[in-house]
Amino acid sequence: MKTPTVSALPEQELLRSAAAGDRAAFAEVVKRYEDTVYRFSLKLCRDPARAEEVLQDTFINVFRKLGTFDGKSKFTTWLYTIVANNCLMKRRRRKLDELEDSLEELDNPSTDSDGKFARRVARWDETPAELVLKKELRTVLDAAILKLPPLYRAVFVLRDVEGNSTEEAAHILGISVEAAKSRLRRARAFLRDQLDPYMTTRGGQ
Amino acid sequence: MRCIDAYRFICDNLDQSVDSPECREIRRHIEGCPDCQSYLDSLKKTVVLYRAETSAKSVPPAVHRRLMKIIKVNAASRTPSRKRQRNSSQK
Repeated sequence: MKTPTVSALPEQELLRSAAAGDRAAFAEVVKRYEDTVYRFSLKLCRDPARAEEVLQDTFINVFRKLGTFDGKSKFTTWLYTIVANNCLMKRRRRKLDELEDSLEELDNPSTDSDGKFARRVARWDETPAELVLKKELRTVLDAAILKLPPLYRAVFVLRDVEGNSTEEAAHILGISVEAAKSRLRRARAFLRDQLDPYMTTRGGQ
Repeated sequence: MRCIDAYRFICDNLDQSVDSPECREIRRHIEGCPDCQSYLDSLKKTVVLYRAETSAKSVPPAVHRRLMKIIKVNAASRTPSRKRQRNSSQK
């Protein structure tokens, strides 16, 4: 097959050619999906050097295992699984148990005897889109999400940032839907609490 | 209806509309509770912030070049003759 034609191939055919050893087809697979892989890696790792490493490891894995892709799930779902494995499994074990315990406490926020929030919940007034451009905020976002254990971060990124369903996120990470739901709930609450001081002190300005 | 019940609903469903008598009751509570409204709003904004901040990133040209080089090296090392050479040299 000649190079100019691979860019026009539909996904299934392209993947078949690449799996059969067609180098030009594999280069096209990289071209089509490298941005997706890189963005997801960046969101999970929060570090360009680490994201590049994961990008390389992921495509080396894709190169080796493309023949095992059965086409039953979406190709991007399969890719996400490889990225998640590369990003999460290699991470150094930190004090994850302690972190998991503190995240479970988020299921029960402090309330008074009537079940009302014990503390007033301050409003976030600024429009997020305007804030994103501020470097200071990016530092706050990075610091907050890096505190989450990798699996919690992965569920949040897959479901809320990348827009997969909770079922897809669970499938990609190899956990039950219930486990994905509880991690998502805690990850959202944790991140919200981490951003709260920044958002409420700057909000009225 | 209490904030704690609404809290669990908010954290599970965010802006998904679930229509059941219980959910309608929770929505009524949220509508009349400034704290729960602020909480739901801040949770939604948290998601918006993370969604917005990395949406435009594509692979930088230098990163793409290094990726293609590594794949090429990897592909070459997997051809039968090279594989044999590597295996025999390792032994």
